[in-house]
Amino acid sequence: MATPIIMPKFGQMTEESAIVEWCKKEGEPVAKGDILFTVETDKSVMEVESFEEGTLLKIVVAPGKNVPVQSTVGFLGKPGEPVPEATVTPTVNPAAKTAPLAPPVAPPAAARGPAVAAVPILAPAPVAVPTAASAPSRFRISPRAAALARNCVIDPARIPGSGPGGRVVEKDVKAYLESRGYAHLRVTPTAKQLASKEKLDLLAITGTGESGRVTLADVERVIAERPKPMSRMRQVIAQRLTQSVVTAPHFFVTVEVDMTDLVALRAELKQKGAPYTVTDFISQAVVLTLKEFPDVNSSTDGKSIRWNSRVHLGLAVSLEQGLVVPVIRDADELSLAELNLRSRELAEKARAMKLTPDEMAGGTFTISNMGMLDVENFTAIINTGEAAILAVSSTMQKPVVRDNRVVVRSIMKMTLSSDHRLIDGAMAARFVNGIRQKLENMELWKLLTA
Amino acid sequence: MKKSPTYLSDSRPKFEPYEIDCGTIPAYRYKGNLATELKAKHLTGTEAVAILEDMLIIRELEEMIVKLRSGAYEPIRDYNYRGPTHVSVGQEGTAAGACAALQLADNITSTHRGHGESLAKGTVAIRQMEEAQLRQRVPQFKTGGREELVEAALEEHVYRTICELFGKDDGYCRGRGGSMHIADFTVGHLGANAIVGGGVPIATGAALSNRYLQRGNVVCCFAGDGAYANGVVLESLNFAAQAQFTNHLADGLKGGLPIIFLVCNNHYGMTHRSDDEVMGVDRMARRAAGFANNNMHAEVVNGMNVLAVREAVLRAAKLCREGKGPVLLDVDCYRYWGHSLSDPRNEYRTKDEEAAWKAIDPIESYKAELINAGVTDTAGIAAVEKRVAERNARAAKRAATAADPAAEDVLTFMYTDTRCETVPAEFANPSLIGSLPEIKRVNGELTYKDALKEALVQEMARDKRVIFYGEDVADYGGAFKVTKGLMEAFGRSRVFNTPISEACICGTACGAAMNGLRPVAELMYFDFALMSSDQISNQAAKWHYMSGAQTEVPLVIRASAGAGKGYGGQHSQTLESMFCHIPGLYVVYPATPYDAKGMLKSAIRDNNPVLFVESQALYGMKGVVPEGEYLVPLGVADVKREGSDITLVAWGPVVHDCLKAADKLKAERGVSAEVIDLRSLVPLDLDTVLRSVQKTGRCVVASQAVHIGSYTGEIASTIQEKVFDYLDAPVKRVGARNGIAPQSHILEAAFLPNVNDILTAANAIL
Repeated sequence: MATPIIMPKFGQMTEESAIVEWCKKEGEPVAKGDILFTVETDKSVMEVESFEEGTLLKIVVAPGKNVPVQSTVGFLGKPGEPVPEATVTPTVNPAAKTAPLAPPVAPPAAARGPAVAAVPILAPAPVAVPTAASAPSRFRISPRAAALARNCVIDPARIPGSGPGGRVVEKDVKAYLESRGYAHLRVTPTAKQLASKEKLDLLAITGTGESGRVTLADVERVIAERPKPMSRMRQVIAQRLTQSVVTAPHFFVTVEVDMTDLVALRAELKQKGAPYTVTDFISQAVVLTLKEFPDVNSSTDGKSIRWNSRVHLGLAVSLEQGLVVPVIRDADELSLAELNLRSRELAEKARAMKLTPDEMAGGTFTISNMGMLDVENFTAIINTGEAAILAVSSTMQKPVVRDNRVVVRSIMKMTLSSDHRLIDGAMAARFVNGIRQKLENMELWKLLTA
Repeated sequence: MKKSPTYLSDSRPKFEPYEIDCGTIPAYRYKGNLATELKAKHLTGTEAVAILEDMLIIRELEEMIVKLRSGAYEPIRDYNYRGPTHVSVGQEGTAAGACAALQLADNITSTHRGHGESLAKGTVAIRQMEEAQLRQRVPQFKTGGREELVEAALEEHVYRTICELFGKDDGYCRGRGGSMHIADFTVGHLGANAIVGGGVPIATGAALSNRYLQRGNVVCCFAGDGAYANGVVLESLNFAAQAQFTNHLADGLKGGLPIIFLVCNNHYGMTHRSDDEVMGVDRMARRAAGFANNNMHAEVVNGMNVLAVREAVLRAAKLCREGKGPVLLDVDCYRYWGHSLSDPRNEYRTKDEEAAWKAIDPIESYKAELINAGVTDTAGIAAVEKRVAERNARAAKRAATAADPAAEDVLTFMYTDTRCETVPAEFANPSLIGSLPEIKRVNGELTYKDALKEALVQEMARDKRVIFYGEDVADYGGAFKVTKGLMEAFGRSRVFNTPISEACICGTACGAAMNGLRPVAELMYFDFALMSSDQISNQAAKWHYMSGAQTEVPLVIRASAGAGKGYGGQHSQTLESMFCHIPGLYVVYPATPYDAKGMLKSAIRDNNPVLFVESQALYGMKGVVPEGEYLVPLGVADVKREGSDITLVAWGPVVHDCLKAADKLKAERGVSAEVIDLRSLVPLDLDTVLRSVQKTGRCVVASQAVHIGSYTGEIASTIQEKVFDYLDAPVKRVGARNGIAPQSHILEAAFLPNVNDILTAANAIL
């Protein structure tokens, strides 16, 4: 019997995943440990290795399609072995699925009433068919009207329907075409062909050709401007950050840090071959300060507060596709050198889209560093489940007053975003100043880098 | 002008006590043997050996079937035989003995256990053929004398039989029939039948045809003892023995039906015991006493003695040819194997019983007779056995590798596209018994029922092969007087009353149609078609296909639909949808007098079986009907009214409701409705419907049938499948409610569809 290939469950919360690419073709031999396919999860692309040796007999799930984890995506076995009929059925309880991420197309089950058998088979009494009034409003169009709209390359969605249940019928489309002056519309044949293929609405395209003719360029412009579906990663960003802004009342405290001495120390160390980054110093300073302020290293559900005994430090990493936050676990146990090593590893994996879900989960505090992006100041949104986030801006040469003299120093602004449910202004001020003091304390760094 | 066929019953009550004498039925009266037969020159030595050979051919073929199931038939060890294994080993004496007594042009019908009869009718017929006929059978055989020609034809016969068993294109039925439906019309074999008893009315109808055309041919109807408990078989016995065939009513065609009801009494119907279990008579021969005062010349015959069977069938055939049929022979024989090879037999009979019958094996005992009579010796018999085994082996090997029918031909032979364009001279314009009935025309108009009558009159006057029968259709002119006056014009041989035996009416008409006539049968109420549904659906509809187009079934069954008269659930049904579901039938339903005449004439001339539905509600409807000859082709819908906004598709009386609805739609909403009368449901003129819906975008399909399973659903679904993109609204259906026709006028009005229902459906989508 052929062995089913199962979609792995990558993280505890992962319920469905999509295959990005099959790395083997049907009929191709597979050695144990060979990569069978790659999978896009919420935040990254995973490689799935084969546990067994054999031949890839059949690919059941094509790339791009979301399937429940632990469902069969293909079959491995000996060449010519029979392959059972596999259907992609959810192996998890569908009710447990997180609804917000599902694309908003499926109406509630009751809305499908009219599609089920309305003819009574056994019951002699007439069966109540949901009336147009009781059914939720859904765009209805007759096949004939739809065909006319399709042939005219227009979008019928806004045409008022005069048929039963508000169905758009042929005469409604005709009336609409007339009211919109469709007969006078001028379109080049290639433009019409492309618009038809792309299912555009010719009436919504402004023609820039001779006497208002819609040209191929006009259509191409509309295609370029057309909304495109969000990537899975962006959808997750959108959902999580919106949730944070809505549930956590943010307030912001900004301090200026004099980085002149630390920048000099770093340059000195670098000459000696030590690879520390500014982020490493900030991370270390944050970890040390969190030990002093356990309230900041906590989380809340709005009713209770949990102190985290460990610091799991999130470092926001910007990618072309969006944003990921790898987490350095037990950062409070690590030396500066270890912090440097670990953050470099994670950043590299992030850029290669190879972070595992567990490497991106469980943070207790996050640093978002835009220092390399030449910004004066910014505020960040707290990651849900954490109490605060530190937004680090660029270090800039600035005139400042020292000992009653104006001098040029390297100044870096830091803004702490705090969840007011957990942290009050005074504590935020003390905490962020605690970080500042550490960054400006060269005795500390000499000790830590010795 | 001949004597008028009319007569009035003029009996008197008579109650003097007396005793009915049922007479006696002889059993096992044959006293001869081969020596006495030879001496009396009833048989030559060569013929005697041929009888052995015929039995051996059967046994060799059936043993091949048995062995094939376990890969033990050496010539084609690996052949995978898929099909039934209803072997008749042990019954060869019955098949070979009976067929040896028949002539080439005589007919047989047979059963699901019919290899023996099919092989024997063929082998006997081949030896009876003229050289020219033989050459026609084996055109590839160019040289040699008669003996070689016969040998070639015999091998070809076995080959084509095995091909049919194997479902090959060279089979007698082109692989469409198989073991249980094998037929060879060239030797008068009208088909084996897999419906137990189903072939008996066909045989009776074939005998009706032989009698009517005065061919002098006999039909030998083989059927098992099990079949003699089946309704249509008992109906057939009664039908065949009707007094009107032999008494003063018979007039010029005096004489009973030339049919031998040969009961292959192997004592088991599948596995149940006819003796002592499911029957109340000791001998099937007693059945005959229930249907004819002469007991149908019934006899019990020793079927294990091939000579006894031959002698009995010879005498029976002679009686039939003399006009003294029908004859019933209860031939006592035994089936060595079970119903099929999956039947272990030990659940219903003893080994000792089997051993006792095998001890008098028809083949072994006949071998002894051949030796005793000095016809041949052991070596001579061995030579015959060797010849048969080798011939069968060669045929089997060829058959195993013969071509299969092409998959794309799966529907080939479903319908014939032929019709009777010209009547052969011998049947054209037959003489009349009396004057044609007067059909009153007022302003060129006739009623629907007179239009039907005019069609029947014209077609019967045109072609002698058109005969008409049914319940109370003759003197009385039918329950609705559609056929009043036909009997007086055409005589009782062409227009006659039947017993109330709907299955047999349709079955005999099917058999007559398969044997040279073009019958029109009447079902007084469409509801009664359910009693004859086997004969309509399994027989008439299927024989053109199952025989590989060896036969056509030019048959019309007129079915009169009630409804609206307060006749209740069993006299008011509109059932054409059920028969549209049976491939092989044509189903038509005219809605106007013009179409009634034109379509009935077309149906009678068509060579497919046509279920011709009429509406009692329309019988009185008047319309212009040209007096002369015209035909309305089957399979062409009629656009009753052109329109642009909605299409109303209907048939039967609902067509007129649709026309009224169209008037109202025009008057009340200014809607232009197109009304299409389908007229013919099979074949269906989809093109006209689809073109109309493409134009209007909206459609209501209406009929008088109850909603569930109505053919309206088939049409509606086909519309959405084929022209979905032209629809501006869902296709609506209108029919009777999903209920049973009630008697109450109030209830029936609520039950049946009406103009308002059509308007409601139309308004819902306009």
